[in-house]
Amino acid sequence: MEFWREHRTAIMTVIVVAALLGLARLGMSANDWVVTILRGLSVGAVIFLVAAGFSIILGLMDVLNLAHGALFMLGAYMTWSVYVRPDTIVDLLTPGLLLAAGFALMPVWRQAAARTPARGRRIWPVLALAAAALILVRVGPRLPISIWDPKVYQNSPIVWTQNAQTGMLASLIRPAVAEGGLPIWLTWLAVLAAGVLAALATAGLGRRSGLVRTTGRAALRSLLLFALLIGLAALFFAFNDPLTNVWIALNSNWRFLIAVVLATLAGALLGGLMEATLVRPLYERPIYQIMLTFGLAFIGTEIVRAVWGRTGLTMPRPALFDGTGEGCPATGLGEWWRNHCATILVTIGGEEARIRTYNELFLIVVGLIVLVSVWLLLQRSRLGMIIRAGVQDGEMVEALGINVRRVFTLVFALGVGLAALGGALAAPSMGLSDAMGATLLLGALIALAIGGLTSFAGAAVGSVLVGLLQQFMIKFGALGIKLPFLAEPFKPSPSLVPASTVLLMVLVLLILPQGLFGRKE
Amino acid sequence: MTASTRPGTRSARPQVTRPSWWRAYWAMLLLLLALIALPFVLGLLEGATVGDVLANEAGRSKFMQGLLIEVFLLGLYALSYDLILGVTGLLSFGHAMFFAVGAYTTGILLKSAGWPFGVTVVAVIVAGVLQALLFGVVLLRVSGITFALVTLGLASVFEILIKSREFADFTGADVGLQGIPKPDFLNPSAERLRLYFIILAVTVLVYLFYRRFVNSPPGRVCIAIRENEDRARMLGYNTFRFKLLALIIAGITAAVAGMFYAIYNPIVSPEVTGLGYTVDALLIILIGGMGTLSGALIGAGVFRLLDFYLLKWFGENAAFLLGAIYVALVIFVPYGIVGTWQRRSVAWRRAWRARSGKQ
Repeated sequence: MEFWREHRTAIMTVIVVAALLGLARLGMSANDWVVTILRGLSVGAVIFLVAAGFSIILGLMDVLNLAHGALFMLGAYMTWSVYVRPDTIVDLLTPGLLLAAGFALMPVWRQAAARTPARGRRIWPVLALAAAALILVRVGPRLPISIWDPKVYQNSPIVWTQNAQTGMLASLIRPAVAEGGLPIWLTWLAVLAAGVLAALATAGLGRRSGLVRTTGRAALRSLLLFALLIGLAALFFAFNDPLTNVWIALNSNWRFLIAVVLATLAGALLGGLMEATLVRPLYERPIYQIMLTFGLAFIGTEIVRAVWGRTGLTMPRPALFDGTGEGCPATGLGEWWRNHCATILVTIGGEEARIRTYNELFLIVVGLIVLVSVWLLLQRSRLGMIIRAGVQDGEMVEALGINVRRVFTLVFALGVGLAALGGALAAPSMGLSDAMGATLLLGALIALAIGGLTSFAGAAVGSVLVGLLQQFMIKFGALGIKLPFLAEPFKPSPSLVPASTVLLMVLVLLILPQGLFGRKE
Repeated sequence: MTASTRPGTRSARPQVTRPSWWRAYWAMLLLLLALIALPFVLGLLEGATVGDVLANEAGRSKFMQGLLIEVFLLGLYALSYDLILGVTGLLSFGHAMFFAVGAYTTGILLKSAGWPFGVTVVAVIVAGVLQALLFGVVLLRVSGITFALVTLGLASVFEILIKSREFADFTGADVGLQGIPKPDFLNPSAERLRLYFIILAVTVLVYLFYRRFVNSPPGRVCIAIRENEDRARMLGYNTFRFKLLALIIAGITAAVAGMFYAIYNPIVSPEVTGLGYTVDALLIILIGGMGTLSGALIGAGVFRLLDFYLLKWFGENAAFLLGAIYVALVIFVPYGIVGTWQRRSVAWRRAWRARSGKQ
């Protein structure tokens, strides 16, 4: 009885979902039914990756991160770039490391910023920032970076996708050449100066109250890091071409793995930076966070449009999930592993079901792995304990002497990293477009509202429900539902697919205002 | 010893005494006068006569009137959102529906049903009340962020209905509602100056009404609900009633704004049903200052004019710049234009006086 009371909603949910799935089974054949469920789970997995990060951020910091969809999208586009154009990424390493070198000296800059007289302190950081931006705008186009150009068809992302698909990348990539009359070392020096100026500006803008004291050891450490980054930058510049060649010669599976990892890390870094610089000053003004994150979503979408173009892109699947030749479609997992098939044919109820290995197996497995690992992180680690405690009562955690601010940055990085991972994994299955972020964010919001806004289990259950409902509506849109009181089968039009999830949300919220697994206030 | 004969500690300058209404409203009055004069001034600058402007000759003045009409309508719409969010503290993500219901009701009644304009106005107001009641039913069950999500859901369903092909005969679906027969005396092309002044007058009246409402006992209860709903309830107020009142007022205002939108624009675009349009209202009141009412009007002006001129000057890059400007506004104008002014103006003035006094 105790068990029943505690898990009432969970049990009811399982019963209702099972009943609905059983009902849906009446309307379609067994193979369609299985494939639709798998598709629903796969869409649910992607939604879950976005929703989980969103819900942890909302729970811990009360920040409604409307830029989460845009960051998901950026993750997808970054994956595309690393996967299709490794040469560009290698070219970007040198300037990126030089910019980072400027920020490595942050303790020194903070000390310097604290020593400047109070008068006029507010104007020089802005000037420094403007100078850094000016340098980057002037020098940027002259850097030796080979990049695609959405405005020139021969060099557009679409053509490069095709090249990657046909395996012609290695023969088409040319080493980048620096443009303009500047000697190359001067260009790099300018980039380094921009990094230093930007770091100085950041130090000046983030005025700390009280004294800032940098110990000699910290200064020394930052100097060492500075030297290390510059050395790395020089190294990457010197061995640019060999590195590019090695990378491109890699198997596409490895390239995909690298792309996913890099995009996730870049997303996490971006999230951490976002929290530290932009979100942090706004904890006292919650409603303005909405404006900020919305503005950032705007900017993210525009960046995507400017860099990758307005036309949607596709991303080729890695070879492991792309085989169509001999022995394909496979009849089982073993055969898939041997032949790298794109699909597996399974006979269910006397009819064949075609299961796509990437979409319907790999995504679900990765979703499960992330689910379990984030759950372990939340339940079994010290950080997770702090996060859970912070969700319940942030002030109390702070009172216990824990630096919640640092945890905030970490959690923001984690959440955005998860969204970027979702984007990275969704790129080959859903394709890339400048609207994918907004669409998925809405899906994630609905999933969270259904599951309970700040509940991790709720995020998982809600995402799966939204994914299943969407896919069943799409399937029924093609098949039609035979209703007893209608002569013609009822076919839900495509616009009813989002409407169905929204209606489910409204229904759940009106019955259970906290969502299925939400905490009662 | 009376107060007036006490030795002056403030300043040696003679105090200019102005009536209190002047001190409260001088900026608004000047703005209003400027807006009344603007069509004629623009016309005269261009070389047209007052008669030309009155006869609605095409030109810069007429164009600016159109742009300002859009600003006023956005202002009305944002004002209603400010009443819900800024004054009463209800976060609704379905506000676009309030506006769109007005626009589509007008369009469908005038076009498909062929109703006369006067009856349509009444129907629009009734529709505004009805949708406020619908949101009120939701409000009985949920509050806080859940209310935001349910209203988002309701608005999305409305958006999907508007865009669905099944009702395309009435709503125009994705294309938008076109060919609405406009009443002759409000024709946006032939009688634009009249439309301009009518909408300006409506905006001013609604603004004054809102100010009066916020300063009235029910309005004060709404503010109390924003600050601490539990405490307001403890004091014996039926908070639901006041929230519903705010919703009804906002619903009517937004529906009327939508009605004028349908009359002014050649086409009612389905975009006004979307979440983006709600976010527009949110951005406007955040730019102007939440809960300040006048901030909604000023924010609408900044929002629309910025949007228009950035698009005109920078073309493709406009959206990027707009995003950057929003982020900059959040950081540098922390409480919106009016809000920041109200909080800081005393300190600024004091600093200004101190500085000019020294030199």
